[in-house]
Amino acid sequence: MKRRKRTEILIQDDSNLAQDLASMILEKYECREVVMPQYGLTMIKMRESAKKSLFYMGEVLITEAKVEVQSCIGIGIIVGMEEKKARNMAIIDAAYQAGLPETESWEAELIEAEQRIIEKRLKHQADLSETKVDFETMDV
Amino acid sequence: MGYVAVKGGTKAIEASMKRVKYDRIKGEKVLDVHTIMSTMSAMVDQVMSESSLYSPFLAALSIKQAEGNMEEAVFLMRAHRSTLPRLYYSQALETKTMLVERRISASFKDIPGGQLLGSTVDYTHRLLDFNLVDESLEKNKRWLKDYETALQENVPSDHVHYYTKVVEYLREEGLFEEYALDNTDPVDITKESLHFPAPRSARLQVLTRGQTGAVTSLGYASLRGYGQVHPTVGEVRVGHVPIHVKHPNEIEDDAENDYYIGKIKITEVEAFVPVNIKNEDHEEELAFEIGYGVCYGQNETKAIAMSILDQCLEHPEYHFPTHDEEFVLLHIDSVESTGFISHLKLPHYVTFQSRLDSVRRVKKGRQ
Repeated sequence: MKRRKRTEILIQDDSNLAQDLASMILEKYECREVVMPQYGLTMIKMRESAKKSLFYMGEVLITEAKVEVQSCIGIGIIVGMEEKKARNMAIIDAAYQAGLPETESWEAELIEAEQRIIEKRLKHQADLSETKVDFETMDV
Repeated sequence: MGYVAVKGGTKAIEASMKRVKYDRIKGEKVLDVHTIMSTMSAMVDQVMSESSLYSPFLAALSIKQAEGNMEEAVFLMRAHRSTLPRLYYSQALETKTMLVERRISASFKDIPGGQLLGSTVDYTHRLLDFNLVDESLEKNKRWLKDYETALQENVPSDHVHYYTKVVEYLREEGLFEEYALDNTDPVDITKESLHFPAPRSARLQVLTRGQTGAVTSLGYASLRGYGQVHPTVGEVRVGHVPIHVKHPNEIEDDAENDYYIGKIKITEVEAFVPVNIKNEDHEEELAFEIGYGVCYGQNETKAIAMSILDQCLEHPEYHFPTHDEEFVLLHIDSVESTGFISHLKLPHYVTFQSRLDSVRRVKKGRQ
């Protein structure tokens, strides 16, 4: 599973999956902290839809962490103030960068978590659809 | 009269700062930051938008510290922002990936996907709700339980729905001009001074972080005749958009290897503005252009007003102030405008004495 999908699942998951996966790595491998979780900013680049040009919308507060596992650097970046999760994300990223065997077994868990996220999203959309307008044309 | 350099006031300032704290806590009530985040989202959104820093927690903290004073809260956020390193730039956000919470059109009754009201006070009576005086957590819990029970009857669809933009349907019909992706690097007004004429990217950045009241007032002024733009809102959408960041060192350009870092809530507006253009036969014909507005959080009035001003500034007109980019862009920033106005109350002893001396000399000369 590629990073874009993997990080989306891990960040949106609310069942501690990132912590569980990071713990598996910490139990077996040495993990060196390269950058302790720190707060910083990400500048949002936006594409406007009138002329399809780019502009900077503003910044978003993020937490970033970097760790080294098996000589590979992993990065964890997450919106908000989330030190623990940023560090866990960095460890998982490093595990994938190093091609550790544990990562192969994570696929099923990640897909399962993705399914939970999609179900939650579908339910939310179904609830919102109560506010969809049903126009009736009046006879005048 | 000679000028005298003075110092002092340190003790008075320290005592004044104690009064600020005293005034905030003397009522013996403590407002939790999370309470502000949960119950004052509109205020939090406005502070994030005007400070150009997306963080509901920090915005709520600034509101608490500023005792609800918006200009002070925005100032605190901007000051805090200047202490943080900018670590990344996001990939271009595309609002077609927005998970829509609310989406309406004033141009079409029937839009594909339908009009989704979401959460809005637009259709409520503006009557004070005195039930809120005795609001209790217990009562709220009961209401939530009943509401969530009723929601259980909603049957989810089998796929996540992404709403196509209204304008895309009109572009397909050839009613609106189709533009190719313009990947010109945007100007960043936090890194370089604003120069005129300003590029579109700089204009949009200033407008989106403008003070809500100022942006709204100037948008309104345009409608009232101090401008030449009166649009119809094609679409207002509110929802969450995902943010992706490229790996800082990887050379490979594979979007699938970007980092998803989270999502932000925004309001986006596309306003349709009728304009006269010349066709291939040099005859005048009616066409439409789009005014674009967007801001952090849910702040529809600001986003609509921004879309008006965007269109005004696309068409400079000497006679109309809202079409003058120096007039608009240099006066809508919260920190700049409130800072300059409020500096007038700081000591101006020397400059005023100088003016006073001049007046005295003139009067003496007359005598």
